[in-house]
Amino acid sequence: MTDADAALKNMKGYRQSLKGALEDNFLRQTLDKFAVQYRANRTMIFADMNERELIAEIADAKDESMERLEELYEQFRAEAGKKGVIVHRAATAKEANDLICRIAKENNVRKIIKSKSMTAEEIHLNHALEADGLEVVETDLGEWIIQLRHEGPTHMVMPAIHLSRHQVADTFSEKTRTAQDSDISKLVKVARHQLRARFAEADMGISGANFALADTGTIGVCTNEGNGRLTTTLPRVHVAIAGIDKLAPNLHDALRIIRVLPRNATAQAITTYVSWITGATDNSVNPDRRKVFHVVFLDNGRSALLKDPKCREVLRCVRCGACANVCPVYRLVGGHRMGYVYIGAIGLILTYFFHGHDRAKNLVQNCIGCEACKDVCAAGIDLPGIIQEIRARLNEEQGSPATSSLLAAVLANRKLFHTLLRFGKWAQKPVQSGQFIRHLPEIFASGQGFRALPAISPKPFRSQFADLQVKADGSPRVGLFAGCAQDFVYPEHLRAAVRLLTAKGAAVEFPQGQSCCGLPVQMMGERAAAEKTAAGNVRAFEAAKVDYVATLCASCASHMKAHYLELTSSDPALRASAEKFLAKIVDLSSLLFNVLKFSADDFRNRGDKAAYHSPCHLCRGLGVVKEPRNLLNLAGQHVESPEEDVCCGFGGTYSLKFPEISSTLLAHKLDGVEASGAEYLVTDCPGCVMQLKGGEEKRGRKVKVEHMAEFLLRNLK
Amino acid sequence: MPGPVNQAAVELYSAKAKPASIVVTTVKSLDEALEYAVKVCQDKEKAKPLLDVPGDARKTLAAPAVSDEVFAALAKKVEGKDMELVRSGLRDHLAGLDVGFSVADLAIAETATAVLECEKEDDRLAAMICETHVVALSKSKIVMTSYDAEPFLAKALSRERNFTAFISGPSRTADIERVLTLGVHGPLEMHVALVED
Ligand code: SF4
Ligand code: SF4
Repeated sequence: MTDADAALKNMKGYRQSLKGALEDNFLRQTLDKFAVQYRANRTMIFADMNERELIAEIADAKDESMERLEELYEQFRAEAGKKGVIVHRAATAKEANDLICRIAKENNVRKIIKSKSMTAEEIHLNHALEADGLEVVETDLGEWIIQLRHEGPTHMVMPAIHLSRHQVADTFSEKTRTAQDSDISKLVKVARHQLRARFAEADMGISGANFALADTGTIGVCTNEGNGRLTTTLPRVHVAIAGIDKLAPNLHDALRIIRVLPRNATAQAITTYVSWITGATDNSVNPDRRKVFHVVFLDNGRSALLKDPKCREVLRCVRCGACANVCPVYRLVGGHRMGYVYIGAIGLILTYFFHGHDRAKNLVQNCIGCEACKDVCAAGIDLPGIIQEIRARLNEEQGSPATSSLLAAVLANRKLFHTLLRFGKWAQKPVQSGQFIRHLPEIFASGQGFRALPAISPKPFRSQFADLQVKADGSPRVGLFAGCAQDFVYPEHLRAAVRLLTAKGAAVEFPQGQSCCGLPVQMMGERAAAEKTAAGNVRAFEAAKVDYVATLCASCASHMKAHYLELTSSDPALRASAEKFLAKIVDLSSLLFNVLKFSADDFRNRGDKAAYHSPCHLCRGLGVVKEPRNLLNLAGQHVESPEEDVCCGFGGTYSLKFPEISSTLLAHKLDGVEASGAEYLVTDCPGCVMQLKGGEEKRGRKVKVEHMAEFLLRNLK
Repeated sequence: MPGPVNQAAVELYSAKAKPASIVVTTVKSLDEALEYAVKVCQDKEKAKPLLDVPGDARKTLAAPAVSDEVFAALAKKVEGKDMELVRSGLRDHLAGLDVGFSVADLAIAETATAVLECEKEDDRLAAMICETHVVALSKSKIVMTSYDAEPFLAKALSRERNFTAFISGPSRTADIERVLTLGVHGPLEMHVALVED
């Protein structure tokens, strides 16, 4: 077991390794640069196509293929078999390794060359082959570098992204016993030279396969370097290994995926090479000039996944790596801390399914839920949703951590929760200083010094609403969904919203039966509590005859929209009611701009310069992008700052669990905002306000943080 | 069976070839494409041997995948020049080949992809182990999208033995510090001679 492996299995070790990564300047700079360039390049390369439509098509086609998997497998086996290909199926990693070792032995193989295959990494094929006395050389440049360094890949497409040219030069110098220059083009030539000899002498080539086409028994391999072509051409034996999920009915499915895969992976229109191999092709080494060609399909838990309705869409994955490319956590800590073999959002997930719950239990906590991965996934997989599902399963299997069960118990009981929150304002007294909590009790305090935490308000909004004496008539009729953060911490946001809504003639209601939306327990994987809170809120709004349910918290809205139907599905009447409730939910900015039609005439625009933080759950969760920025320009002046839609690092309880990452994301965000020259930083989510305001408090309040409702009200005529 | 030329596809192909680092030239005939390949070979520096065996004494141009007639025409053009022309046994040239010459069976404009059916080992190696890959491409064989190439591909893939390659530029990597570098295991350069007829 490697150190990295050991570190995954206990939280302390894992956090230690995260800290180590955060201190690796080269890694941080590389991944930072990559994240920014990747986004820009990706946008450009998708410019002339309908990305959403294509991704939806891929998702559907993949689902359909998975439905027919057994049939496709039989068809592939029959077709390829007719053409002289030997097709195998391995149930487990061990079976696959044994099988490939046996193929090597039967063909008197001594030397093997490999082109890149994540499936081979998944089963640690090299170890098995080497243990059998075989010589294995990786030929993908990145894979070769990490093989020489005895490391695992840190990215699915760019396995050596964590290394500098100097490190590579050192590795090559050692390998060639000659000092090598760190000039990149020279290093690439060293690899060309060194590896050509390996190609020439190899008896067997092992490749992966991006596609296995059932109707013609063809495999398709995408590469850029050309090593895949030599690997499948020169040696007399070729073994292709692929997950059974790579089966597709025909070429059309593959061509469709190729329209997205390289664009998503490296922002290329297509990989330099795509090779389609059918049958036992020409090979001059064998006396009959026929290549010995084996295809090994690996199951290793995939057919079980197929029977798992909540997680089966994982099998759609085409291994483009984009979910890592856009992940704010990956960007900070790199691949070895974001997956055991597979990396990024899909890595967290596949570690659980392929490599043991023990290795996954800490990893799956390290997702902040920003949905950036889901937004770009080539196969439209709900990655954060599945990560939450896995947390729930781990809780069931291994018991919930004490804090999580306590929170679940409290949130499932509205009255208890609210009573505790009311008492909280007394409990915090000795530690409170003005609006902020001065010192946290020791148990919560570790690593939390990077931001001030807000104090619980002396009087929650639910007790203030009656005093506001809102007129009961008016149009449209708006029901306010408060969410706990605003109800108990920032009632002023809600008061501002009421004033804005009534200024335009709306009637506002506040159903008292509402409670926490349930997102925190959902994130922690406490399913029963999530169901109970969902039912409570749906019922609370049943009686209110409102046209809209307005939220000032993007996280509440997107959680309710994404999960309430499923959370109420055990009771058809409740589910029907939930459907009506969800159709009315709208975020405040959209309501003000699109429905109440706020215009420049409504504001006294003093040109307040405001940067905007686009909450994950608003821009990706609800797809709201223009409205908040339009509103800012009506009431003030929107000043652009870098990466407005990258997570601020809050993520609810995430920031308590991984303060080192949360604080780094926050610092990045505030650096950008402060440099933009804005006086205000406005956002649409109380969680983000908490994070950003707490951070600015510690940094000396260079920028004033406000919720959209406050900013607009301050400038209202 | 050369069909009519799709002018829009030719233009799109040329536009997409540039960012893919493909050098595109227009020639009048296949014969001119051969001349172009010989010239490229003449002008380039001799390939440095990659194996610890004595490399070929002269520059080498390989054209295994052409008809007898075309090969004879090529042999004529090479005559008297300081280069060797080979048609088979490319495995003996793994140390380094200067130019590989291929004729594209089809091309996909939207990604500047040349499609080569190359089941024979020599045909494949010519495109893999050379330093410069020269491809003759009839304008009439360019289609717009990969979906438009499906009828051709379906036929190719249904054969008993087939290796069909999509090639969209010289071999490339960005595995060290994400810096794009051309010529890892395959060609350092790719030239396409667009043939008019
Ligand atoms: S939701 Fe965000 S933090 Fe979680 S894996 Fe996806 S990109 Fe990373
Ligand atoms: S999960 Fe989606 S984004 Fe991630 S590698 Fe798979 S297809 Fe790509």
